Amino acid sequence: MEASKPAPFQFVSRGPISRALEREGTLAFWLLAPTLLILTVFIAYPFVLGVWLSLSNSTVGEPGHFIGLANFYKIFADSIFRTAAYNTFVYTAITTVFKLALGLWLALLLNRHFRGKSWVRAFILLPFIIPTVLSTLAWKWMFDPTFSVFNWLFWKLHIINSRINWLGDPDLAMGSIMIVNVWRGVPFYAISLLAGLQTINPDLHEAAAIDGANRFQRFWYVTWPLLLPVTMVVVLFSVIQTFADFQLVYVLTGGGPANATHLFATYAYQIGIGTGLLSEGAAISLAMFPALLLVVVFQLWYIRKVENR
Amino acid sequence: MARFTRRKFLKASGAGLAGILASHQAPVFAQQSTVHWIKWNDFVPASDELLRKTMLPEAMKALGIKINLETVNGNDLQPRVTSAIQSGSGPDVFMLFNNHPHIYSASSVDVSDVAEAVAKAQGGYYNVAKANTMDGKKVLSVPWAVIGAMIAYRKSWFEEVGFSEFPETWEQYHDAGKKLKAKGRPLGQTLGHTFGDAPTFSYPYLWSWGGKEVDEKGKVVLDSKETLESMKFMQSFWKDAFDEGGLAWDDTNNNRAFLSGTIAATLNGASIYIESLRKPDQYKTEKGAPMKDDIRHSPLPRGPKGQFGFHLFQSHMVMRYSKNQKAAKEFLGWIHTPANYEKWFVSQKGYSTPPTAQWEKHKMWDEDPVMAPFKIAGRLGLSPGYAGPPNRKSAEVLTKYIITDMYAKGVQGMAPQEAVKWAAGEVSQIYSGS
Amino acid sequence: MMIEGARWRKWLWFYLPLGAFIVALLFPFYWMVVTTVRPDGELYRPWNHPLYSPFWTSHPTFEHVKELLLETLFNTWMLNTMFIALAATLISLACGVIAGYALARLTFRWAGLLGTAIFVTYLVPQTLLFIPLAEIIRDYRIGDTPWALILTYPTFLIPFCTWLMMGYFKTIPKELEECARIDGAARWQAMVYIIFPIAVPGILSAGIFAFTLSWNEFIYALVFLSSPEQKTVPVGVTSELIRGDVFFWGSLMAGALIGSIPVAIVYSFFVEHYVAGVTGSVKG
Repeated sequence: MEASKPAPFQFVSRGPISRALEREGTLAFWLLAPTLLILTVFIAYPFVLGVWLSLSNSTVGEPGHFIGLANFYKIFADSIFRTAAYNTFVYTAITTVFKLALGLWLALLLNRHFRGKSWVRAFILLPFIIPTVLSTLAWKWMFDPTFSVFNWLFWKLHIINSRINWLGDPDLAMGSIMIVNVWRGVPFYAISLLAGLQTINPDLHEAAAIDGANRFQRFWYVTWPLLLPVTMVVVLFSVIQTFADFQLVYVLTGGGPANATHLFATYAYQIGIGTGLLSEGAAISLAMFPALLLVVVFQLWYIRKVENR
Repeated sequence: MARFTRRKFLKASGAGLAGILASHQAPVFAQQSTVHWIKWNDFVPASDELLRKTMLPEAMKALGIKINLETVNGNDLQPRVTSAIQSGSGPDVFMLFNNHPHIYSASSVDVSDVAEAVAKAQGGYYNVAKANTMDGKKVLSVPWAVIGAMIAYRKSWFEEVGFSEFPETWEQYHDAGKKLKAKGRPLGQTLGHTFGDAPTFSYPYLWSWGGKEVDEKGKVVLDSKETLESMKFMQSFWKDAFDEGGLAWDDTNNNRAFLSGTIAATLNGASIYIESLRKPDQYKTEKGAPMKDDIRHSPLPRGPKGQFGFHLFQSHMVMRYSKNQKAAKEFLGWIHTPANYEKWFVSQKGYSTPPTAQWEKHKMWDEDPVMAPFKIAGRLGLSPGYAGPPNRKSAEVLTKYIITDMYAKGVQGMAPQEAVKWAAGEVSQIYSGS
Repeated sequence: MMIEGARWRKWLWFYLPLGAFIVALLFPFYWMVVTTVRPDGELYRPWNHPLYSPFWTSHPTFEHVKELLLETLFNTWMLNTMFIALAATLISLACGVIAGYALARLTFRWAGLLGTAIFVTYLVPQTLLFIPLAEIIRDYRIGDTPWALILTYPTFLIPFCTWLMMGYFKTIPKELEECARIDGAARWQAMVYIIFPIAVPGILSAGIFAFTLSWNEFIYALVFLSSPEQKTVPVGVTSELIRGDVFFWGSLMAGALIGSIPVAIVYSFFVEHYVAGVTGSVKG
């Protein structure tokens, strides 16, 4: 730092605003104000309003009055709600496991050098980039009972004799939405885990190899522990998103057949907006929150535990 | 101190800015009134075209009102209504199905003046029209049309399995269906959450066995011997005779399946036949003949307690949030004058049946004998909530697809008693609520 | 991980799985393209029809694309979505960058608490809020306008931008600001003139990510907008292209395909930044 270098900011007038902003606290306040404003008005306030709604009996066009926990009693007695809750947990759990496993595998594959690597890396993110409803529409067409390309394929390969009812059989329908969700999520996992892999020093692998570890042991004892922090963060984000998923099910099955694939979000939409029972819909949405909180708290605890190992 | 007022100012001006910007969205010019009319995408596209190209411009000339017509997928009408009422703005005239007007009664404008004029001039409304649009205090919406639901079937295929006439009872239909499915030509029916073809099957099916949701006094009687019988029959019927993909079908799947020759019969409006008329070269039977010649219609078969039907009913509601209520009512009155309504009715080719009795004598019904069964769709037909009065609760049961789901659960393997009990429980919950 | 040994091993353990992944991940897009150009007569052949040829068509046609662009409001939806995405991204970036700076570089009493608060908002997904938010949107009278989305999208974009920028800012040495301040700059000037230009790659990453997330949003757009002219591409394609009995799969796929293009283009120009964004958010 040469004293002779002209100070580039000499033109600043040290007015009262500038002086005030010198204090870290003040500057921080103003920098955070817009964010806090938006988040308060459009998240905190609606959340409170949602709680109030769920404790009232308003329906579309008729603001209701306070009725306590009646809505919650009603939805817990509703077998469709219980199905939706069960579905959401199962859907989240199974897809996360698959996304992690397949994403990790893909990340390991991409961690090598090969020609066209950057092209491949760019293309495989497409399922994650493209708006979900649009790609889900393509899947819906691929699963269509009368015109499915998968049925054709399996039929040609003589694996099946009659049609697979991808979206019409309740269990298969759950399977179908999971397939699409995994398809969509694997690239995200893969790219994130790849980044994690690339921070692992290759010397560690060499050292382990010299010590006699085989490929699998190298992975399990060297790679995996170092990857765990990144993995947990990815899983955390993904779990939140999957738990609250709406678009995929809405487009693919609408919650059917016969309510077999409803999740919290789609059922809340059907009851709240479809049938106009706003307060019941709000209650269903809110029912998501405790479960979500539990899952997140658990994961955060686990992350902390891993980090402190 | 200054900090606080600045923050408040920011908040206020932020909201104010949003308000100013929002008000700039709405055009302030009001020289010519505009009425935003939303209806479903007609399954007979020619009618929507007629509206757009001919009738609405005529309305503009006659009334000085510009009609802004929007068509949406039928299943989306209900969420749209909720959104519109919630956001306090939206279409002025909303098409509604069946007994839905009861759900939105608080947001509707009383249209007795329009409805009474039409009823007087055209021979009175059918009962089903009155039940769905009047709650005793006001007229919630103006009846528009009844969409007859009949079974469309392939005459030649039924003849091949020994039925020169369409089966009259469920047992006969079961028999025919079993033979047809064995030949790779099953019956098709949706048991999914779709507003048209699912309830129009499940409700009359239930009624034909003697089952009902409530009795005349409003007591929930769904869990009964009759319902159980109907369920048991349905379970074997489905497996033996139906295309099992129907669980996931919406209102369009059976049309496509029928027209591509994969099912032998399905309950539908007349749109399958009308579509085959529209493109006779595209829709051919496996023998190469135009399919339109092989299609016939029949009402649903009879059950032990009679023959029933549930036909989709449509009406138009003027919304309370609308700023163009007077123009909206004027428009509705205009379009229901016999001269105008007739044009629309003829373009439907019998797909819709008008809600008043005088149209039964119209000569259009004589043109195509294949369409003859649809003529009296308005006269037959009961409403969900039978045998109680149609009201908000029966509307809720309908929009939650409880009856359809009951059968769907049964055919998927749930024990019949369980499925019936489940449905009865759900219905009781709705009827006992406030 | 090196795969030692014979060439066939390389094929088995590497090329085959990689190839399988690529096919599985990209096939639906190929399907979209083929369906878009397939004429109607071929489209509606059942899968066990002898002439069913899924993977190509011998009579490609542009009629679906034409129908989409000329007879529907698709172009309007594209413009709407573009406008909303850009506006929401700008707002979110503006807020997120400065918030990220504050949380990463400034020390003040509430730093930890506010950081956690912003994280907690991520726990409140859109599908939880959409019903009460609809009322609020109505009260502010911005229902059925783009502003309903432009003001609500930042709720899930800002937290993300903030974390990303936080992670980014943390990697910039503190000496730079101190130098500038010694040279006479005010604290805010050091932030704006020194730090922000260095953080441009991070800002770009955050912006790209925010842009793609805006295009992907669905439930708010579905519930807050009703007029066809106001709709965004995802909502428009799913609601307006299903007319009556006919599902118009050709136009649907055309809409899905063309609707994906802007995002794909933006993404392709900035792949590196996008990937950095994804990984940065995860590491941060």
